[in-house]
This record gives sequence, structure tokens and C-alpha cells, in this order.
Amino acid sequence: MTEHLGENAELYPLGLLDDDAARDIERHIALCSACAERVAQAQSVAASLAAALPVASPSPALERRLRESARPRLGAAKARASIFRFALAAAIALIFLGLGWQTLVLQQRLKAEDVALVTIVHSHFNHVSMAPESANPVAAKILYARDGSWIYIIADKPGGSLRAIAETATGTIDLGVLTSTGKTASLLVHPRERITSIVLQRADTNVASAKLAY
Amino acid sequence: MDQLVDDFAARRPSGLEQVYALWSRLLFSVARHAIADSARAEDCVHDALLRVWRAPNRFAGNRAMLKAYLVTCVRNESLAMLRSEGRRDARELKAARLAPVSSVDPPVVDPVETQRLQDALRRLPEEQRTALTLAYYGNKTHVEIAQALNVPLGTIKSRISMAMRKLQTELASAEGSRS
Repeated sequence: MTEHLGENAELYPLGLLDDDAARDIERHIALCSACAERVAQAQSVAASLAAALPVASPSPALERRLRESARPRLGAAKARASIFRFALAAAIALIFLGLGWQTLVLQQRLKAEDVALVTIVHSHFNHVSMAPESANPVAAKILYARDGSWIYIIADKPGGSLRAIAETATGTIDLGVLTSTGKTASLLVHPRERITSIVLQRADTNVASAKLAY
Repeated sequence: MDQLVDDFAARRPSGLEQVYALWSRLLFSVARHAIADSARAEDCVHDALLRVWRAPNRFAGNRAMLKAYLVTCVRNESLAMLRSEGRRDARELKAARLAPVSSVDPPVVDPVETQRLQDALRRLPEEQRTALTLAYYGNKTHVEIAQALNVPLGTIKSRISMAMRKLQTELASAEGSRS
């Protein structure tokens, strides 16, 4: 951090500093609580000095302009809120549709990618490369939460529809088909039971497998 | 947390409206003191208010701090406009000569606060009061003040800084005795 502001802390609220110096002040007080306190006190004094200014009232046009200027952002905010509510409703609907299964599967690729990325960013996770099986295997990797709350399967050059089958302590779960772009395929699942191993199948043939260690 | 501050910091239009309802005259008076033209003074208030309101998480503090921060922003906006145009008209020159202690114009805020301020200003050493009033009420830069008073620039900066800190102490003390 640069040295403290010194006298500039009092000059800044009076408008005595040029633009570059004022920006330096703003950057500094964002990092230095001592100087931020000193500037805040000086701002308070500067506001008190305004008590002796001749009074002046703005025209009604100013309020109208401010409302107009604020409105587009309000509109945009409402639009974003609407889109968010729609997406949330869609996600909830998907979750409830999946309740009949033992896993919650999100298969819409665009949404799934976003959900997967957000999930991964906010988690501690392990990863494992899947062991190739059959004469025509697939290269795949699994990222999975250390607490077992989610599993993200990624396959390179899937070569057809890939289905993920999982083993748990109580049996076998069909996790569903990976969503493919042709070049890659992926699937994010939130299993209700801890998964111990996964097999990828292409046309009912095992093409890759992996055990998950927690 | 104060609802007004909360609404403003969260960029809710209601926050902007409340701020405008409470302080539009104060903020406009601050701008108008630097900018003789009312329309351009309104531009300064408009631009400064919107910039602060739109900036996410720009402000964190109480209502008095928000008011002080907005006054600072409007004043800086106004002086930047004034200086970018590089001119001062007759009104601005007149304002430069006005000392608040001799002003008979109606105050922007309540008379008690104005009296407290003027008392505090009177108690400042004269050289500090002169530097501060030329800076704030005269819209002079510290360079201009140094030239006008034929005093080194560093000395003027020190006088203004000390004046501000003494005022802060005086006003805090007066506020304490009032409440």
C-alpha cells in the first residue's frame, strides 16, 4: 500500500485535488481504513460547510430527469429478474420431474454446463480418470464432490450415445445419457446415495469405468 | 441498517427518490454555488447522484455519511466542470469574495446548524479561516489561494487541513453539547 494520505484527506472533500489525485484517494481509501475514516470525517465537515451556502432549489425537471435516467436500469433489472424466475422455475420443474428417479439429473446442456461450473467453483472435489474398456473405449474423467453430493462426468469424443450406470451400497442406478455436442459429452448428477463406481456404456457395451474414493 | 441507506446502496429507485426528496436542495445549492448556470448545475447533481447510485457497493455507512459523501461528489463534479471550462463568471467571482460569517442569504439547512458552523469558523485562527473560506466558499484552488496570499503552497495545504480538523472537533463538541 502507498503511504497514507496526509493533508490530502482534507483537501479531497473540498474539491481541491485534480482528477488523478482524487482517483488516487478513492483507490487508497478502499484499502486503508485509517485514511477512509479520516476522509469520512473531512467529508462530514465539508457537508457542514454547505450549511452556510445560499439556498437554491432545482427545477422540477431535474427530478423528472433522474427518474427517467433510473428507469431503463429498473426495466433491465426487472427483465433480468423475470428471466431468473423463469430459469429457477424451469430448474425446479426439472428437479421434481427427476424425483421419481434415485438421482436428480440435469440434461439440458447449456444449463447443465452453467450449473456444473457454479457447483464446481463452490466445492471441494476429487477427480479420477476412467479406465478404458472394450476395443473402442472412450476417454473420460469424473469430477466429484468430496461429500458425494454431485458428480460430473466428462467424455472426450464420445463416439455415440453414452449412458452412465452407477453402483451404490444398495444397488445399481441408471444416471442417464450424457449430453453430447459431438466432440464432448457431459453429465452432472446429484445422487441421493453415495456412488462408489461408474460405468459408461455405448450401445450396452462398457467403454469406461472408474471407482470413486472419498 | 437505515432503510434509506439500504435502499440507496442496493440501487433501488426508491433509495434514489428518498435521497432526492431529502437533499436535492442541499445538493443543488452546492452545485449552484460553483456553477452559475442553473441547467449546468442540475447536470452536475444529476450526473453525480446517478454515478454514486449506480455504482455497486460504492457506499457503506450511515445516513449522515451518505449525505456527506454525496455533497463531496456533487461538489467535486461541479468544480471539475467549472475548471474544465476554465472560467468564472461574475456570480462566481462574487461568491469568491463572500465569507459565510458575513453572509445574509438564507441557509440551506436549519439555523441552529448554521450558527454552530459560523461560531466554529470564528474560533479558527484567522489565517486558517481565510484559507478554508477561500477554498470552499470562494471555489479557489489551493494554488490560486497560495498565489493570492503570497504564501507557499504547502503552507496553504497545511492551513486548510488543520482548519478542517479543528472544525471537525468543534462541530463534534457542539453536537455533543446539543444532544
